[in-house]
Amino acid sequence: MKLLRFTLAAAMAATLTGGAVSAQEETSASTLYGDLSHVTQDMLDRAAGDGNNFLHTNGNYHQTRYYPARQINTDNVRGLRPAWIFQTEIVDTMETSPIVVNGIMYVTTAFNHVYALDARTGRQIWHHKHNMGPVTTYCCGPNNRGVAVSGDRVFMGTLDAKLVALDAKTGKQLWETQIADPELGYSETMAPTVVNDMVLIGTNGGEYGIRGFVKAFDAATGELKWTFHTIPENSVGVWATHDATGRDMLRDIEAEKAALAKMGDPYETLGGGVWQNPAVDLETNRIYFVVGNPSPDLDGSLRPGDNLYTDSLVAVDMNTGEYICHFQYIAHDVWDLDAVSPPIITTVKDGGGNDVKGILHAGKTGYVYVHKADDCSLIRFSEPMVSQEGRWTLPTAEGARMLPGANGGVEWSPMAIDPNLHLSYAINLHQPMTYTVKSSPYPEGKLWLGGSFDVIPEEEQWGNVSAVDYNTGKIRWKVRTEQPMIGGILATAGGLVFTGEGNGLFKAYDSATGSELWRFQAGAGVNAPPSSYTVDGKQYIVVAAGGNAQLNYKRGNNIIAFTLAD
Amino acid sequence: MRHLAALISASLAATPAVAQDAFVLEDAVALCATCHGEEGKPIDPEYPIIWGEQYFYIYTQLRDFAAGRRASDVMTPMAAQFSRDQMKAIAEYFAARPWPTIEASMEEGDAAIAEKGITGGQCSACHGKWQGDSRIPRLAGRQPGYLRKTMHDFKNEVRTNAPDKTSTMKQLDDQTIDALARYLATL
Ligand code: HEC
Repeated sequence: MKLLRFTLAAAMAATLTGGAVSAQEETSASTLYGDLSHVTQDMLDRAAGDGNNFLHTNGNYHQTRYYPARQINTDNVRGLRPAWIFQTEIVDTMETSPIVVNGIMYVTTAFNHVYALDARTGRQIWHHKHNMGPVTTYCCGPNNRGVAVSGDRVFMGTLDAKLVALDAKTGKQLWETQIADPELGYSETMAPTVVNDMVLIGTNGGEYGIRGFVKAFDAATGELKWTFHTIPENSVGVWATHDATGRDMLRDIEAEKAALAKMGDPYETLGGGVWQNPAVDLETNRIYFVVGNPSPDLDGSLRPGDNLYTDSLVAVDMNTGEYICHFQYIAHDVWDLDAVSPPIITTVKDGGGNDVKGILHAGKTGYVYVHKADDCSLIRFSEPMVSQEGRWTLPTAEGARMLPGANGGVEWSPMAIDPNLHLSYAINLHQPMTYTVKSSPYPEGKLWLGGSFDVIPEEEQWGNVSAVDYNTGKIRWKVRTEQPMIGGILATAGGLVFTGEGNGLFKAYDSATGSELWRFQAGAGVNAPPSSYTVDGKQYIVVAAGGNAQLNYKRGNNIIAFTLAD
Repeated sequence: MRHLAALISASLAATPAVAQDAFVLEDAVALCATCHGEEGKPIDPEYPIIWGEQYFYIYTQLRDFAAGRRASDVMTPMAAQFSRDQMKAIAEYFAARPWPTIEASMEEGDAAIAEKGITGGQCSACHGKWQGDSRIPRLAGRQPGYLRKTMHDFKNEVRTNAPDKTSTMKQLDDQTIDALARYLATL
């Protein structure tokens, strides 16, 4: 049965790319496409070369967001038009990455609604509303970043800290499992990752005095397989005085040592959320993810030490969750300039000019970091994509200005790369903030920032789209946008990058030069990562336009799919 | 006003209906109505609406009143009489009531001042569209008097159960707080 499905799928993919598609137009989605909706591990493994589907939140296990189809390209992108618009029930912040499996698209909204749509027409196939418990938590809007798919199942994490498995054909819930206690501040906004029948998911809660983790669940039953605590019981580290870019973080190490002697290791409430998907290395059976800020965000006095493994890249064994290596960008962070944008695996040049397997990460500091996959060590960091003003300035009781602000130079927004140009594409925020510290004990399950970070309304803010050569660290091109950017970006083999803005503009740029080649006004903030897919021989670009709660961009409820005008 | 409230609470504390050993939900909520209103509209412009408020928010506030994290002459002794399960039952009861309609209006220029404050404080990151959700209280359609009071209470560290609010409110001047109170009340 499996084999039959696979050959059928392969045969169909061949027809589709060949363009002989007219007969399929009469076939209803439920008969033809429904039979092909089974997602095998082989399909997931080969997603990077699959120009029909979009099977992973970030395109493929390496999270390159580089889509191999080139029907839409630099020559014809000006003819890109909306093919359909789907309106969801929830008019609120959207961060979903549409997933497409053989012509069926899965999208999510705020408050954990899931829709299955016909990817050719936008027709709704099913709609699932999560039965939300009374206790939810979020720091930055009731977001959801989308589903993971495997077999005949669709998986989603929820604001009440559950993992649910749905039947891909009907949207009916098959099982749910409680990931952690929502009263303590645990919740989920990230899309899960599925590999070898395991569902991997991290946790939100870095603003709540949690102890972060990545967990693996059995895809068939929801049973817990392993837990990796992002905060080890000894979180002290090496008393690092400088960050990854070599700047003095102005730590008062003596005071911290005294505090440690008095209060002990703060690991139990130290935060360390994992907000975004891990990159999966099938060759070495490793996953690479980044760990977020320590709790409380701005008040270091209650958490002496380096606060391992907050603000770090971490690698663990995919099958056991055992620690392999880490690299900490900022020890004892008091600015919430943590690590959230999902890491990317790709070949990079090491210091000696040799090709090695590398990991890229865009830090909230506004730098692209390039690591050796082997031992997590840092090969280089890029030129800063946003200006660095007053880094590092310690937060004060009265409030101290610094740039980047606490939303970072790059937020959770995933990067994309073009491996042929060895460029990584990131979207940036130029948003100075005032950092104020105010110490207080953990207020039992309530927001615990240890102060506040405030936007300075009088100061100008803007955004950039930046292309960084990860082999040299040099910025190849940079274009300015009207507002700070949040959402995500997609690169394609058609020589394009697509990304949206808070003012509703969705744009295509030439990936080699940064020239703007196309734009569309979506009517609400385009603050979600775009995806692409091909059905019936037609390539589409799809993106959610639902605005953003964190930056207060105009809310909407649209999923918009674009294709070339006939 | 404070005097009156203290008086009521002192007399109520003596009422057997709320004694821990004989918890009767109907009696407890009838007591609440004497201040928070028979039909959900509080008897005083500086008292909060609790009808239709989020279940988990009501519960955490009762918990915090009892623990002294949110100190109040009136509410602290009252909440201290309830067990956590009783607090949950009370919270469930009020969360299921409809939100009352109150009268409020804005003054010239309020919206612009309020929106600037909202941008600066990044309020929408948590408060979203102001309707509340779970641990986040509804702010839309509240009494402006209570909104103003509670923002000042945060700012002046009178209310300390959401400590980060102090830093946020310190960024806002009195004029902005007044405008925000009226703006949110009319939403
Ligand atoms: C004597 C008057 C009085 C009575 C009786 C009373 N309350 Fe209150 N309540 C207040 C006042 C005044 C406040 C505001 C306190 C503050 O701002 O710190 C308040 C605040 C609250 C809050 C916080 C609401 C918010 O928006 O933060 C809750 C919840 C609450 N009361 C529940 C109750 C319940 C439940 C009862 C009955 C068991 C009750 N109250 C009885 C006067 C009263």
